[in-house]
Amino acid sequence: MSFSGNPLERRLQFSGILLILGLLVEALCLFWNQPMAFVLFLGIGGLLQGLGILLYLFSLVSIRQPHR
Amino acid sequence: MAPAVLPLVSLIAVTAALICVLVFRPGLTASQGGKILAFFVLFLLPLICLGMGTDYHIGHSEQTSFCLSCHEMQPFGRSLMVDDPGHLAAAHYQNHRVPAEMACYTCHTNYAMFGTLRAKLQGLHHVYVHYLGTPPAPSAIRLYEPFNNRECLHCHLGARSFEEGATHNADPALLPAVKASKLSCVSSGCHDTVHNVGTLDKEKLWKGAP
Repeated sequence: MSFSGNPLERRLQFSGILLILGLLVEALCLFWNQPMAFVLFLGIGGLLQGLGILLYLFSLVSIRQPHR
Repeated sequence: MAPAVLPLVSLIAVTAALICVLVFRPGLTASQGGKILAFFVLFLLPLICLGMGTDYHIGHSEQTSFCLSCHEMQPFGRSLMVDDPGHLAAAHYQNHRVPAEMACYTCHTNYAMFGTLRAKLQGLHHVYVHYLGTPPAPSAIRLYEPFNNRECLHCHLGARSFEEGATHNADPALLPAVKASKLSCVSSGCHDTVHNVGTLDKEKLWKGAP
């Protein structure tokens, strides 16, 4: 995998990677029958997913489009 | 009932697969269709996964098996199997007066506004003590505050066995005092044998339904 030269696409790639990691943590926590699973799910999985979503939203508003 | 995990795992797998497509082919987002796809897979689907995951874990945390997964709580789980109808918790559990799969949660959640939220916050404190603190011995574990009659009356109020019970009506002042929480159901010498984990080794245990 290579990162795109386009800043918007690169941010979307980073956002996607954060989201995949968050989803992976979330999936693993579903199969762990211990109270710590909920803490990890929200503390790490939720954090990664939240960062991924925020990065996606940030990438939408931060890239300046040329005036037409 | 235990929340279903398969639909959530399937949704997570589909979401992750779609995100992979965007990570490996970011050029797709240049088109209008790609932008819509990005909105779904980088925003909407992860939010849905997060919401469903939280709902799953909250539902899971209400299960008896979840409470008993900590070793400190295992004697309390064994106390549900005491073969003596005089043991309040055991009689409720074995006779399904409370849902067996949600036995702890049914009696130990305050039936008041924010009761559930408070129970979850206390649960987080328990996790902290379990992993980072010094958990007390099971026999030394006490409730944060005396058991409120409200939790009993949530089910028993209006029930014939409660309202017309001979012992409850032996003294005309008893039922009004119980209903007003001036006389506790569990600590007044009436239903005071609840978990009693300190004397559990002396009790005969029920083996469970076949």
